[in-house]
Amino acid sequence: MRFPFHVSAFFESKTRAWLWIATAVWLIATAAGLSVLWAWDNAPGEGATAPRTWPTGTALVRATEKPTLILLAHPQCTCTRASLAELAEALARATVRPKTYVLFLKPEGFSDEWAQSDLWRTAAALPDVSVIRDDSGSEARRFGVATSGQTLLYDEGGDLLFAGGITGARAHQGDNDGRRSIVALLNRQSPARRATHVFGCPLFSAGL
Amino acid sequence: MPLQQKEGHVSSSVEARAAALFAAHTHDIHKRTDRLFAGLMALQWIGGILFALWVSPLAWAGSTSSTHIHVWAAVVLGGLISLFPALLGLLRPGLPSTRYTIATAQMLMGALLIHLTGGRIETHFHVFGSLAFLAFYRDWRVLVPATVVVALDHILRGLFWPQSVYGVMVANQWRWLEHAAWVIFEDVFLVVACLRSMAELRETADRTAALEQEVRIRQQAEIDARNSEARSDAILSVALDCVVLMDESGRIVQFNPAAERTFGYTASEAVGHQLADLMIPADQRGAYQNAMPRYLKTGEAAGTNQRFELTAVRKGGEIFPVEVAIAPISSDGAAMFAGYMRDITERRRSEAALAEYTRDLEVAHDTQRQNSRQLATLVDQLRITQRRAEDATRAKSDFLASMSHELRTPLNAIILYSELLQENAEDGDAKQSIMDLQKIQSAGKHLLALINGILDLSKIEAGKMTLARETFDVREMIDELLDTVGPLVRKNNNALKVHCAGDVGAMSSDLMKTRQILLNLLSNAGKFTSNGVVTLEVVRRMEGAQIFVEFTVTDTGVGMTEEQTQRIFDAFTQADVTTTRKYGGTGLGLALVSRFCELMNGSVSVVSRPDEGSRFTVRLPLEAAPAEVPAVIGA
Repeated sequence: MRFPFHVSAFFESKTRAWLWIATAVWLIATAAGLSVLWAWDNAPGEGATAPRTWPTGTALVRATEKPTLILLAHPQCTCTRASLAELAEALARATVRPKTYVLFLKPEGFSDEWAQSDLWRTAAALPDVSVIRDDSGSEARRFGVATSGQTLLYDEGGDLLFAGGITGARAHQGDNDGRRSIVALLNRQSPARRATHVFGCPLFSAGL
Repeated sequence: MPLQQKEGHVSSSVEARAAALFAAHTHDIHKRTDRLFAGLMALQWIGGILFALWVSPLAWAGSTSSTHIHVWAAVVLGGLISLFPALLGLLRPGLPSTRYTIATAQMLMGALLIHLTGGRIETHFHVFGSLAFLAFYRDWRVLVPATVVVALDHILRGLFWPQSVYGVMVANQWRWLEHAAWVIFEDVFLVVACLRSMAELRETADRTAALEQEVRIRQQAEIDARNSEARSDAILSVALDCVVLMDESGRIVQFNPAAERTFGYTASEAVGHQLADLMIPADQRGAYQNAMPRYLKTGEAAGTNQRFELTAVRKGGEIFPVEVAIAPISSDGAAMFAGYMRDITERRRSEAALAEYTRDLEVAHDTQRQNSRQLATLVDQLRITQRRAEDATRAKSDFLASMSHELRTPLNAIILYSELLQENAEDGDAKQSIMDLQKIQSAGKHLLALINGILDLSKIEAGKMTLARETFDVREMIDELLDTVGPLVRKNNNALKVHCAGDVGAMSSDLMKTRQILLNLLSNAGKFTSNGVVTLEVVRRMEGAQIFVEFTVTDTGVGMTEEQTQRIFDAFTQADVTTTRKYGGTGLGLALVSRFCELMNGSVSVVSRPDEGSRFTVRLPLEAAPAEVPAVIGA
């Protein structure tokens, strides 16, 4: 149907106005959505309350001739993949290869297969890395760790050198202060920081 | 239209067509790319969801899990980013706002995908791939919003979450420029590619428009050529003259129907043969065959472009005269000749017949000239005779006028004295003389009336009668007249009826002559009617622009034959000789009526049958001629 000029012009102008409004709403909504997503990704998890010296009662054996590095992770958390990648990066950059443990949480009631996920296999593929199952998170509790991706570095004497995450955001690989600090410490250099935020899934359910 | 103006018009129309083609192609590309992006948006959305479900389906907190926020982001945010531009691409394809929105959305989708993949550096290639894909629009402007989105993304994330985009916790505040510069670096190539592509598209449109124009011109030229050929064929087929086309060797290439009829060959028989062999008598072929090569060699030919007559030969060998015109024509650079021939056998026959007829006509013309001369002589003699007759008539009229005058004087004396004698006789003793005196008186009055009539007639014929115009009331004139004529009419035991129309009124004419006319007619009616009825009707009539007063005198008397009515208005004429004997009269009354009517520009007519009576109708103008001029009435 062909409208008279003024009628079609009216509808055209109305359409254009609605288009502008819809576009504006769309842009705002999209920006808001992305902001929420970014905020979530960059929200750090609960920090560690790691003992300043190597704790007694742990099943882990500390190396005395080199530093010992422990990374505690949730086997199903997607953020762990980034942490493992950063760990691999840090180990590759370090001149002194620490004794390294990657502990995967295995809550009660979950099978070994659940704990030994592809992340387990990824960690196991790293050279000189011991992958250990942390049943019920006992070691995590012993080391005061509550968030997947928490990394602890102890020196040869058992003193805590570093505690924090080695990713910049949840599930995000890339340069970050945590990895850089660990590499510095392993290379006998001064680290930029000795503690960083950790980005990952909580290791324990609420209330546990 | 002048050539220069026409060329300008054609050029502008080609440019307009090229612009239209370019606009159509560009719009088509934009629409097609919009639809491609609509599909891509949907694919990216679905891909993002699948990727999120595969990589990060669940978020864990110890032993409990929930749907990962990335899955929700892929579904909700991915849908939000994709659906709006995809709908625009489907519903409003080709519009600038649609592709700018798509460009923005594509970059936002890149940001989301980078996020969903955990900021993997490889996913950043999505940005460059998207820019390349946006270049499909061939509109460099779409790269602007895309680049702005990338730059804004980097600025904002660099400010608030630098690690998510730069992989470092603390980044330089101008580092976004480095990323944007790489994007712009790609943009430069893409813009160049877009501009070149558009230039090629425009060139293609120009070539297509020019080609279309050329095709149109050629098609029109072909149509014109076909029409021209059809017209030529139609003209040749209906031409009454023979038209024969020959090539430079004199071979016939076209032979029209008139030539077929004239020469007896069909076109298929004639075409391909030498014209000289088929249509020129053997004794004249030599001249023709010499003329053709001479023309081809020198361009000179006697008889081209003019008509001349020669003889031709039909299929059966019959030699006949033809009128020929030969015109050289050029067809595709080759010399050709068109021969127009007309069989003039009939014309020759007609010319011979015309020459003979002309000779006969000249003889007849001579005879007629002689007769004319004799006729002129006779006319001259007749004129002399007529002049003599007129002179004699005028002399007679003059004589009669003078004689009548001379006769009236003694006659009046005779009548007067006879009346005196009659009175004396009545008073005296000589009563026996009364009858004789009455006879003398009666004879004298009759003679006086006769002489007066002759006198009037003579005056009219001598051109001495004049009209005395006066205005009088017709009814009064009739009343006075009836006093005189009534006794005469009733004398033979007749009834007199008068019908005078109320609108007759007055007329301006000669009263005496009008009364004389009516007196003569009524007295005649009374005289020739016994025991009958005499009627006088007076009406006013309109004839053209003139008004007449019509007097009709009808009687039931003896009537007249057709032959008698034709002579009744001649002088000294009565119906027949027995009438004079039986009824008396001079034969001058109706002649005077007729002359007076003519004199007054009126008319008189009669309708009569023997024993049934007569009807005389006098028609006089209501207004007679204004001046009293002598009126000449032919005798």
